[in-house]
Amino acid sequence: MKPKEIDWNQLSSIIEKHKGEQWGLIPLLQEIQEAIGYIPPKSIEKISDAVNLFPAQVQGVITFYAGFTLKPKGKYVVRVCRGTACHVKGGRSILRLMKKELGLEEDETSPDYQFTLETVACLGACFLAPTMMVNRTYYGRLSPTKVSSVLAQFKKQKGE
Amino acid sequence: MEEISLAINGIRVSCTPGTSILEMAEKNGIKIPKLCYHPDLEPFGACRLCLVEDEKSGRIMASCVTPVAPNMEIVTDSPRVIKHRKNIVRMMIAEHPESCIVCSKGNRCQLRQIAAQMGIGETDLYPMPNYKQLEVDNPFIVRDLSKCILCGKCIRADHELVVVGAIDYNLRGFKSRPATLHDLALEHSNCTFCGTCVSICPTGALAVRDTKYVGTPDREEYTTCGFCGVGCSLLMGVFDDRVVEINPGGLHGSVNGATLCVRGHFAHDFLNARGRLTQPMIREGDQLEPVSWDEALSTIAKRLGAIKKNYGPQSIGLFGSSKCTNEENYLFQKIARTILGTNNVDNGGYLAGRSALRVIHERTDGGCRINSIDNLCGAESILVLGANPAQSAPVLSYAIKRAAKGGTPLIVVDPRKTDLTPLSSLWVPISPNKDCEWINSLAAILWKKFGHDTAFIERFTEGFGPYSDALSSFNPERLCLATGTDMASLERAAELLKGKKIAVVVGHGITQQRSGARTMDALLNLSLMTGSIRTKAGGLYVIAKENNEVGAWDMGTVPNALPGRLPLSNADARKEWERTWNVKISPDQGLNLIRMIEESEKGNLKALYIMGENPLRSLPQGDRVMEAMKKLDFLVVQDILHNETTRIADVVLPGAAFCEKAGSFTNMEGRIECFSEVVPPPGGSKPDWEILDLLATRMGHEKRYGSLDKIRAEMTRSIALYANLKENTNKNFSWIKETSKLRLFSSNGEGTMIPFSSLRPVETEITDDEYPFTAILGSQRFHLGSGTRTAHSERIRDFGLKGEVELSPEDGATMNLKSGDTVQVQSREGALTREIRLEKGLRPGLVFVPTAFHGNDALNLLGLIQLEDTQSQGFKMCQVRLEKLGDNK
Ligand code: SF4
Ligand code: SF4
Ligand code: SF4
Ligand code: FES
Ligand code: FES
Repeated sequence: MKPKEIDWNQLSSIIEKHKGEQWGLIPLLQEIQEAIGYIPPKSIEKISDAVNLFPAQVQGVITFYAGFTLKPKGKYVVRVCRGTACHVKGGRSILRLMKKELGLEEDETSPDYQFTLETVACLGACFLAPTMMVNRTYYGRLSPTKVSSVLAQFKKQKGE
Repeated sequence: MEEISLAINGIRVSCTPGTSILEMAEKNGIKIPKLCYHPDLEPFGACRLCLVEDEKSGRIMASCVTPVAPNMEIVTDSPRVIKHRKNIVRMMIAEHPESCIVCSKGNRCQLRQIAAQMGIGETDLYPMPNYKQLEVDNPFIVRDLSKCILCGKCIRADHELVVVGAIDYNLRGFKSRPATLHDLALEHSNCTFCGTCVSICPTGALAVRDTKYVGTPDREEYTTCGFCGVGCSLLMGVFDDRVVEINPGGLHGSVNGATLCVRGHFAHDFLNARGRLTQPMIREGDQLEPVSWDEALSTIAKRLGAIKKNYGPQSIGLFGSSKCTNEENYLFQKIARTILGTNNVDNGGYLAGRSALRVIHERTDGGCRINSIDNLCGAESILVLGANPAQSAPVLSYAIKRAAKGGTPLIVVDPRKTDLTPLSSLWVPISPNKDCEWINSLAAILWKKFGHDTAFIERFTEGFGPYSDALSSFNPERLCLATGTDMASLERAAELLKGKKIAVVVGHGITQQRSGARTMDALLNLSLMTGSIRTKAGGLYVIAKENNEVGAWDMGTVPNALPGRLPLSNADARKEWERTWNVKISPDQGLNLIRMIEESEKGNLKALYIMGENPLRSLPQGDRVMEAMKKLDFLVVQDILHNETTRIADVVLPGAAFCEKAGSFTNMEGRIECFSEVVPPPGGSKPDWEILDLLATRMGHEKRYGSLDKIRAEMTRSIALYANLKENTNKNFSWIKETSKLRLFSSNGEGTMIPFSSLRPVETEITDDEYPFTAILGSQRFHLGSGTRTAHSERIRDFGLKGEVELSPEDGATMNLKSGDTVQVQSREGALTREIRLEKGLRPGLVFVPTAFHGNDALNLLGLIQLEDTQSQGFKMCQVRLEKLGDNK
């Protein structure tokens, strides 16, 4: 897989913005995650310099929070629920279908950085089971046709 | 502050608010089991083993992180507490791997101890060992994180004590473990292998890699580290009369507490090296043949006696040792002065720049000696010049880094980026040998900004008028330019230091440089002007390279001073010692190390007695030194290891390493540390003081001392500086006694004023077009001095360091060199061949050459020259040129 290109200028300007801030680490990480889609491991030392922490400390914070990732993710992050309620309502087949549709295993990202497939223990919307999320949008009462149509929508967007 | 009153296990106690329940319990002699608590670390509350119950509220809480509150009724072993505690331990054990049984931590594992104490054998839980990759690739530390209980002690030690930041928690939940950046092996991280985390880890998760000699220690003894001048206290584990393990002494009030550096922790395996000398030997043709002590000593006595008779006392020279004890150095110079009748006695401290330090000694009348490293944490500002203590004196660097992390302004003045620069408020990348000008410019700016301490100046000093006039007439801009730095950084430095006391830390980058004496002079002026001497908020710290560099000088193992650092030229001092020793002392200043070699070359010196030095490796121009020594009629070497110099000796005497004898060292703080024997000297070797004592009687000294105490008693009686040296045991230390007659150092406010010295003129630079680069020589933490002992360490050897020469990427580009290429570095004096490494941040035009590698060939680049010669480039740097020899494949 070709490594994702990073806009170092953008990254540096985000880091620069939070330089010297005492409680700046989390907002800084959030901003990078948001802008770049992940936190490039190579940026850890720059970040730690800016906020006066040891690089290992910064890494510890990144890997502690599920909201931060060190690996580049796709433009669309699909999270299929594997919680109990969804399981009862056929969450497993939804996942199977999703794997087939995207050609991805769990925690994999497509080579063109469009899709990442993840699972979660419960999305907190059990009344809509089976559920999934794409980025920040919830999709409930899933059926194979619904899954396909949701995905088609994103695949179409991609084509644009 | 008002005390808080509460009850613990039914006893009423009181203590200061803010104390944790755990500390309060311990103060009252009540033990609470704990795994993540350590008195030197911030409490963390990770293991929950220290649970106690407050019967009043019914609350169960972790006592290490809960402060005492009024009227608590603490019970440390209620049934509820015990139940919870047992469950915690059961779960820890259930997560633990089976390899527990063969763990090298063995009975010292605290988890196992606690489990045993609580009677937990079977956990009755489903075992869920959390396997992690075993990490064994470096020769120092084995990491088996399957055994980690996530107590976070290693992490806190790494952050809070040694301030390296190599590790922190990574990931979360079941996967969580201490990890380096990018979860790489330790050797690929910035870990310094200080081993502090290993000693503090309560389980077998972090352990020391075994060497040939292993075994669970059958006893443990305290001693003092024999490497650098910090003088850390060590706890040595002994099995079968061999040192098999070393941990920090952890003693209250010691320099190092729970920390050590890689040398102290790991390089002492040289003690068991195959190259140890174990019997006296005498040269028979090409061979050194073992002989009895009797024969060896009488040969020496006879030969030295004859040489003295035939050629006079000045035909004999003696190299004492900055590694041997005070007692031994005292005896050594006494033999030279009273029996042989010569002042030709010196020690390795000469090469460390003793002549530069004499300036301070003379101006302060021997004051300014006591500077406790502990005070650095309370310093108002820290100025580090020409030093990379994280390499040369690591435990000192921990104190500096702790202070800087805590917000103390730290200024690093060094041509190279050092390990301190990332934590510093300002790094001044000065041109080599320009420190004096920079300090004077700084003083000028501070003076302009009213950054001086008027009260201090009036009370303790004289001559400030002319000094400040000189400062006023200065053009700092121009001077600053000449130092290769800019005005902005000078202004910034002045801003950081203004109105503050300054703790100045000086390294060999200053003392060994050509203008070392001028620089020390300027520094003392700056310290006086800012009132930074003799206060905990400031101070003048001079790094000592070797463990007893300071003591050897104090004991008079130098050609121009008697014990107590009294100048030989001082007739009263001579008289004093003549009375004590009951002999006439020659008033003629002796030869220093370098002059002794020169005189051997000329054939004027006929005999040399070397104790604990390896001049073929530690002096510049080893080959020339060898030729000179071969001209001697008689060469005695008393040492612990086979080395370059023993190989050409006529008589070799096997001495003892520091932990194989009793004695005392004086460290860079002015602390005299006493220690007793941990293990007996190997084979037929003897403590060096005993050898000297035996030899002295054979050569006519009226009577043997017979014991260390008798030597010490004579020292204590006759050397005012050492009057505090009591007959103390190995855990004890005392400070040097203040003897300066200056008001600044007197306890009653009386005495003379300390003068400011006038600004010395700028020296002309030595440049050499054919040799366009400036090479800076410096140490790396894995080796000490010339590396004789550390090169005998199995672990250091296994680490496979190459000692690459460092070059700036800019110069690399111009010369078409990349990291891993081989170059020849040539000076007017000699050359060496080495791989290079391009080092970002190094100033173009500079190259860095690490010392102690490859037989310490770095010293080939230097001339065999005296520091005080006008043409001397010092022992720190020289002009070189580079030539590419090979490509990195
Ligand atoms: S490695 Fe040792 S010291 Fe570090 S967290 Fe694990 S058990 Fe504690
Ligand atoms: S050995 Fe020292 S530097 Fe390395 S991780 Fe442990 S405490 Fe940190
Ligand atoms: S800092 Fe010096 S004295 Fe302390 S352990 Fe290291 S080498 Fe030994
Ligand atoms: S189980 Fe799927 S949303 Fe809760
Ligand atoms: S010792 Fe208190 S929680 Fe570990």
